[in-house]
Amino acid sequence: MTLHNLVHQKSGYSYGFLDPFAKRELRRRMLKGIAIPGCQIPYASRELPIARGWGTGGLQVTLSLAGPNDIIKVIDQGADDSVNAANLRRFIKRMTGAATTTDTTQATLLQSRHRFPEERLHEGQALILQVPDPEPLRAVESDMAKSRILHADADYGQMWLVLYEQLVQFGRYMQGASYPVMVHDRYIMSPSPIPRWDTPMLHQSAHLTLLSAGREKRLYAVPPYTNVFPLEFSDMPFEVEDQRTWVSHSTGVRNKFMTEIPQDDGASSYELSDTSYLEKIVNQQHGHPNTIAPTYYDEDGQFYHAGYLKRRDDAESTPDQ
Amino acid sequence: MLNPPQINKRVPLVSARQLNKSYGRLAAVRNVDIEAYSGEVLGVVGESGSGKSTVLRLLNLEEAVDSGSYSLDIDDLRGKNLFDLDRFDRRAVQVHHIGIVYQNPHLGLRMRYSSSGNVAERLLITGERTFATLREKSRDALSASEFPLDRMDDPPRVLSGGMQQRVQLAKAIALKPRLLLLDEPTTGLDVSIQATVLDTLKRIQRQREITMIIVSHDLGVIRTLADRVMVMRNGRVVEQGLTDQILEDPQDPYTQQLVHAKL
Amino acid sequence: MAYVATKGGEEAIQESERLYHQLKGDVTREAVDIIIETMPYLVDRVMGEASLYSEELAALAIAQSGGELYEAILLLRAYRSTQPRLAYAQPLKLEDTLIVRRISASFKDIPGGQILGPSLDYSHRLLNLAVLEDDYEPDFNEAKRAETPAARNYPMVADWLRQQGMLPTVTTEADMPIEGADIPDVTRDALAVPAPRAHRLQSLARADTGGVLALGYASMRGYGFVHPTVNELRLSYADVKVKHPVTGALFSPGRVRTSQAEVVTNDKTGYKIGFAATFGWNEVKLIAAATLDIEMSNVGGHEALSEDFVLYHTEPLESSGFCIHFKLPHYVTFGSSTDNVRKVISTFYGDDAAGKESIIEATATPMDDLKEATTT
Repeated sequence: MTLHNLVHQKSGYSYGFLDPFAKRELRRRMLKGIAIPGCQIPYASRELPIARGWGTGGLQVTLSLAGPNDIIKVIDQGADDSVNAANLRRFIKRMTGAATTTDTTQATLLQSRHRFPEERLHEGQALILQVPDPEPLRAVESDMAKSRILHADADYGQMWLVLYEQLVQFGRYMQGASYPVMVHDRYIMSPSPIPRWDTPMLHQSAHLTLLSAGREKRLYAVPPYTNVFPLEFSDMPFEVEDQRTWVSHSTGVRNKFMTEIPQDDGASSYELSDTSYLEKIVNQQHGHPNTIAPTYYDEDGQFYHAGYLKRRDDAESTPDQ
Repeated sequence: MLNPPQINKRVPLVSARQLNKSYGRLAAVRNVDIEAYSGEVLGVVGESGSGKSTVLRLLNLEEAVDSGSYSLDIDDLRGKNLFDLDRFDRRAVQVHHIGIVYQNPHLGLRMRYSSSGNVAERLLITGERTFATLREKSRDALSASEFPLDRMDDPPRVLSGGMQQRVQLAKAIALKPRLLLLDEPTTGLDVSIQATVLDTLKRIQRQREITMIIVSHDLGVIRTLADRVMVMRNGRVVEQGLTDQILEDPQDPYTQQLVHAKL
Repeated sequence: MAYVATKGGEEAIQESERLYHQLKGDVTREAVDIIIETMPYLVDRVMGEASLYSEELAALAIAQSGGELYEAILLLRAYRSTQPRLAYAQPLKLEDTLIVRRISASFKDIPGGQILGPSLDYSHRLLNLAVLEDDYEPDFNEAKRAETPAARNYPMVADWLRQQGMLPTVTTEADMPIEGADIPDVTRDALAVPAPRAHRLQSLARADTGGVLALGYASMRGYGFVHPTVNELRLSYADVKVKHPVTGALFSPGRVRTSQAEVVTNDKTGYKIGFAATFGWNEVKLIAAATLDIEMSNVGGHEALSEDFVLYHTEPLESSGFCIHFKLPHYVTFGSSTDNVRKVISTFYGDDAAGKESIIEATATPMDDLKEATTT
């Protein structure tokens, strides 16, 4: 028996790149996260051939879940063909042999940086969100040992105080993306830097959402059909981005999330951020057949869970300051 | 002066027995008994090192005691030793039933949040989620503390010492607790400001019939506010009784020394 | 916007990579060998920070990344993630190592002597321009052989301080069972703060040299409480020992370079000692790391010298990765914040020109004064 016999000389990669122990640990952590919705679960994050901060957390989750029969969709800011999404998709395909797709309705696993798809996800799908900072209390308590205790005690007074201060100073909640939410009436969670538009999509969803931060080494989950509410005062409703006047440049569609594109003349043009949805609409408008799933927001901008979203200017009376 | 203190209730609101607390070899509090009746003001006087501030921290459930019991005659807390409560129940008592004003406003306030926010935080902890109510109740508490409402959204760090103490006071009474603890609340303030803050305390005490335990080394403060006074030295209580009696006719030699030196 | 909006992201990546490789030299076996031979300290630094000892793989990583060290470390660590753990090495005992350099700043002379070993410490830092001449021939002067060989290893200076009662005694091996599998492993467990000692030392061993230096320097300049003295600095070779899985006999699968530093500072109760060790020889990092080891245990010190601050911010891949991730598109989150900014501007300043003027002033003032800048 020699050392040579004991080891393989510079062998190739495990299935899914990560060794089986790493995958097993990740799956166990995910199960724990699903059992305790919104609670951050620490895990030993492995290094991957992609820089930290570029999606290693989401990637570890996807690689631990993907099998040869899965169909993988990867997006970044809503776009399948973003260079970063393309890079991740290539790696996953290479390491798992799974098929890939841009069609939201076909995918079994969707890995995303900072956006939900516009088409509603269904049972059996898992959305994996990449998270830069898993700690919603970071601005309130930068010491991690202390913020853990705040979560354990559900001691969230200071977080609410921050929202109160924003209303007093600016008359509105000043959180842009990453709007903090209360999950299953127990934990305050950061939904990752998805726009406020996407935050409601976590609530009572048919699909499983997993969120993973590789660099910060925490993962957490929102199981299907779980209550998720953005932090808001009863008389000052949470509002999504105001794109009511925005029209998609190439399709004329409204009331779906768009990004602003500065024009040479100083004006703005707008386009749908979900590129696969955009493609489907374009196809439909040109008479090509397509499956477009029902969307989270309808044509009039109404969210599919009635009564969940309000706007300030719909309120009956503005509260005095 | 118009209404003599009502001290003929049989069960005291605050009942602490045989409190003992040491830090290493330093015995800060030794076998201290405290009683305070509903609606009265109990003064605790002594020089620095007497243990009076430690006693207050124990009554605020901020620190663990070495031995002793402490109970409040309030609803479902009757008969319970508060030192035995778990961390959640302890915090619930601190939030709902006790208000505290520290000598150093940095201990009691978040200096960079607004003054109204400091008060509102108490309500937020108890689950208040209506913005208009938060504004209204913090306004009420600040106004009861005679804090100028046009500055209610200023952060404490830009306020004068006296104003900062008023914010602490508003925060302490926001949830209408039965017990208010004050640790040298006016020490360090200008003499004229001291007087106005003491006036406010008197008014609040009368209007809300709140029980106060006020720690001070300043006999003038004790004379102004306290109905009864406890004199502490080296961790022990050396004398206690009605304020007028103790200050006019102290029996214990240490108290005599204190009174004659100060007045 | 063409960067994202057009299809062909994959093609763009591939061309970008090709251009990168085109602009630097080929990665060849020769290049790898030259790096191993002529840049051992660079190789050591990369092996240390990657926590993977293989001169060949480290040199390949350096060549493949064109010398961009964070990329090289990423290559190595990613490779490490694919390798299964076969066995745990036996704990390294000082008496089993071959120490080639060993100095102490605490005393003029120490039991065993001050051994300078290979070092540039007292050389003149002059560029050898002759190398660049056409007719250059390497002029190699071998170091003189000593008549009696130096000792293989030396007693620890810290032990002398312990005997004198100036340092607390340590737990002996008898009290502490050291089974490899029982040692917390920072690459297998999630780091929690306060960290077990093993996690702290492992994190320092693989920490970014520049990061550790910056924070160590801050401590030394007075932001910390430590006034460090290098009690001992050691550069050594060590044979890694592993138990044969069948026969149980100890054998060595390889030899590594390793270095350790001990730094002491005094407080009222005596001396406090800090320790750091790493793969390869990296003196700068070790002295700073050993200083930080003491600082991190100090409660109530500067926030930037607390354990979680130091360990989190000296992680080479996390810091560099997160830093460069800001190059990634952030237009959705940016759009979200633009929504808020526009609403605030319109609330406070209205649409008039005078209002817009005051925006420029207002953005220069701190938040508290924002309301005073309102013109409406």
